[in-house]
Amino acid sequence: MRLLVVEDDKDINRQLVNALEQAGYAVDHAHDGEEGWFLGDTEPYDAVVLDIGLPKKDGLTVLEEWRSAGRTMPVLILTARDRWSDKVQGFDAGADDYVAKPFHMEEVLARVRALLRRATGHSTNELTCGPVRLDTKSGRVVVGAQAVKLTSHEYRLLAYMMHHMGRVVSRTELVEHLYDQDFDRDSNTVEVFVGRLRKKLGVDVIETVRGLGYRLDPAAEGLSK
Amino acid sequence: MTARAPRSLAQRLFASAALWSLSILLVAGLILSAIYRRSAENAFDERLGVYLRAIVADVATPGEDTRTEPGQLGDPQFELSLSGWYWQITPLSQQTKKVKASRSLFASRLPLLADQGVKAELGEYRRGYAQGPDGRSVRLIERVIETDEEGKFLIQVAAAINQLESDIRRFEYSLAATFLLLALALVGSTVAQVRFGLSPLRRLQGEVSAIRRGEGDRIEGEFPPDLAPLAGELNLLISSNREIVERARTQVGNLAHALKTPLSVIANEAQSEQSPLADKVSEQAQVMRDQVNYYLDKARAAARSNMVGATTEVVPAIEGLVRTFQKIHRDGVPEFEMDLTCAPRFRGEEQDFQEMLGNLLDNAGKWAAARVLVTLHQEPGFVGGGQDFLVLSVDDDGPGLPPDLREQAVKRGRRLDETKPGSGLGLSIVADLAAVYAGEFTLEDGILGGLRARLRLPAA
Repeated sequence: MRLLVVEDDKDINRQLVNALEQAGYAVDHAHDGEEGWFLGDTEPYDAVVLDIGLPKKDGLTVLEEWRSAGRTMPVLILTARDRWSDKVQGFDAGADDYVAKPFHMEEVLARVRALLRRATGHSTNELTCGPVRLDTKSGRVVVGAQAVKLTSHEYRLLAYMMHHMGRVVSRTELVEHLYDQDFDRDSNTVEVFVGRLRKKLGVDVIETVRGLGYRLDPAAEGLSK
Repeated sequence: MTARAPRSLAQRLFASAALWSLSILLVAGLILSAIYRRSAENAFDERLGVYLRAIVADVATPGEDTRTEPGQLGDPQFELSLSGWYWQITPLSQQTKKVKASRSLFASRLPLLADQGVKAELGEYRRGYAQGPDGRSVRLIERVIETDEEGKFLIQVAAAINQLESDIRRFEYSLAATFLLLALALVGSTVAQVRFGLSPLRRLQGEVSAIRRGEGDRIEGEFPPDLAPLAGELNLLISSNREIVERARTQVGNLAHALKTPLSVIANEAQSEQSPLADKVSEQAQVMRDQVNYYLDKARAAARSNMVGATTEVVPAIEGLVRTFQKIHRDGVPEFEMDLTCAPRFRGEEQDFQEMLGNLLDNAGKWAAARVLVTLHQEPGFVGGGQDFLVLSVDDDGPGLPPDLREQAVKRGRRLDETKPGSGLGLSIVADLAAVYAGEFTLEDGILGGLRARLRLPAA
C-alpha cells in the first residue's frame, strides 16, 4: 500500500510519514500544493493524506483537479479549519474523510486504514484468505493459529495482495504500490519477496499467473509443500 | 426631568412652518381688523358729519331767533329720549345763553372731547369716544364755529356705537373663522409638503433597514442630489464593514492554523515517547487544544456581531451537510434523511448555520441506531410585523435523553457519555450560536423514538 502525504509543516510531515511507515505503508511526501498535485497526478497511490492550507496551490484546488482528472484514490483531508462549513467544502471537493488539527496520530492511522479497506471493498480490519489472516490494525499476520513474522516489505506485499484478493496483480503494479518513489526499483526483487513470503506463510495461496503477474486465490485451500 | 428625545426632521419642519404661518396669519388678522375698524369708524363719522354740517349750517345762518329748534334734522332718532342719537349746541362766548340739545338727550349733557384731551383736527374738529347719557359708549364729533353775531358755539353730534361695534365684531368673527380655515389648510399642506419632501429620506431608511434585515446588499435606486452622497457613503460603509469582518475571519482562521499545527507536532512527539514528561505534555496539549477552540469560537462570535445583513439559503446548506454526513457514514448506518417542505432564508451567516446543524447531525449520528431525520418548517411571525422563524429539527432513533439530563447536555464541555468520541463542545456551540442569533435551541422527545434537537432561528 503506497500513500502520499502532502503537508507543508515539516514536523507534521515527518511525524505522519514516520507513523505511516511504521504501520507498514510505503509513503511519499510533498511539502507544497504543486509538488503534491504532480505526485498524485502521476503516481498510483492507494490513499492520500492532504493538508488544505498549502503553499503554491491550496489543498482543495489540488483535490478538485485530481478528481476532475479522474483520480479516484481515497483522500483524507487534514486541516486546522474544523468548522462544518469547511468540512462540507472538503467533502464536496471530493474528499473521503476529514481529520481536524490538532489530531491524534492513531486517529489518522485508523481513518487511513478505513479508507483503504473501503476502497477495496472490505468491511473489517481483518482480511482473510484461506488460512491466512492479516490484521491491518495491528499489522499481525496469522496462518491457522500460528503467528508469522514478516519484514515490512513482505508485509506490504501481502497486504496489497490481500486487499486485492482474487484479482491478477501485475509485477509493475506491485512495484508501484510497494515502494516509495525514492526506492531503487528492480522488478526482480518482487519475485524475491514473493518467494520469501511463500516460504514464510508455508501455504501456497499466491498463485503465479504466467506472463501477467500474481493472484491471491481465496478459494484455493493452500497446501503445505 | 426625563431627557427629551430630539425631534424628528418632519416635526421640526412642521413646527417651524406652522409657527411661521400662524404668526403671519395672526398679524395679518390684527392688521385687517384694525383697517376695517378704521374704515367702519370713518363711515360712521361720515354719517355723524352730515348731521353736524346741517346743524352748523343752521346755527351759522343769522337772524334765526324765531327758531326754537335749530336741529331740525328730520330724523326721529333725535326726538326719542335716550335713543342713542344726540346733538348739542353749547354757546362758548355768551355764558348766559342756554345750551341747546336734542330731545333725545333729555336732561343730560354730552361730555366735551376737548376736556378728555382729544386733539383738534383741521377746523376745530374733534372726534372720539365718550360715555353717553345712559352709560353706553357713544361716538362723538364736535366742532367749534364762530358766528358774527353770537360768537362761538361748540356743536356736538353723538351716536351710540353698538351698531358699529357689532358690525366690527361680526367682521372680526368671520375674519377669524376664515383665517382659522386658512391656518388649517396651511398646516395640512405643510404636512403634505414635509411628507413629500422627506419621502427620499424615508426610502433611504427603508433601504438601510432592508440591508440590516439582509434583504439587500447595498442601497439601490436613484436619490436626489442632496441624499445621493449620503447613500454612496452608506454603501461604502457597508462594504468596508463587510471587508473588516471578512478580514477578521481570515485572521482568526490563520491564527487557528498557526496554533493548531505546532500543537499537533507537540502532541504527536509527546505520544511517541513513554515518560512522565511526555504524558504531561500530552495532557497539556489537550488543554491547549480546547482553549484554542474556545477562544476561536469567541473571536468568531465577536466578528459575527459586527456583521451586517448576511442571509443564508437554508436548503442548499442542509443538503450540503447531509451529503457530507452520508459520505462520513458511507456504510449507511445511520441513514441521514431530509424532509424539507419549504425553502426559507436564515438571517445570518451560512458558516454559522452549518456549524449549528453540523454539530446536531454529528451528535445525532453518534447516537442513532439506524436513522437520522432532518425536518424544516416555517413559523410565520405574529400579525403586526412579528419576526418569521424557521424551525429545524434533527431526530434520531437512538436511546434518547431523560428530560432532567437535557439541560446539562447543552452545557460547555459536558459529556454525558465519555465512551463516545467528541470534545463535549458540540451542543454548547449550537446553544451559543443560537443565542447570538436570538434563536432557541431545545432538546425534546423525538418522533423517531430518540432525541429531537429543535432549533428555532430568525428567518429573513
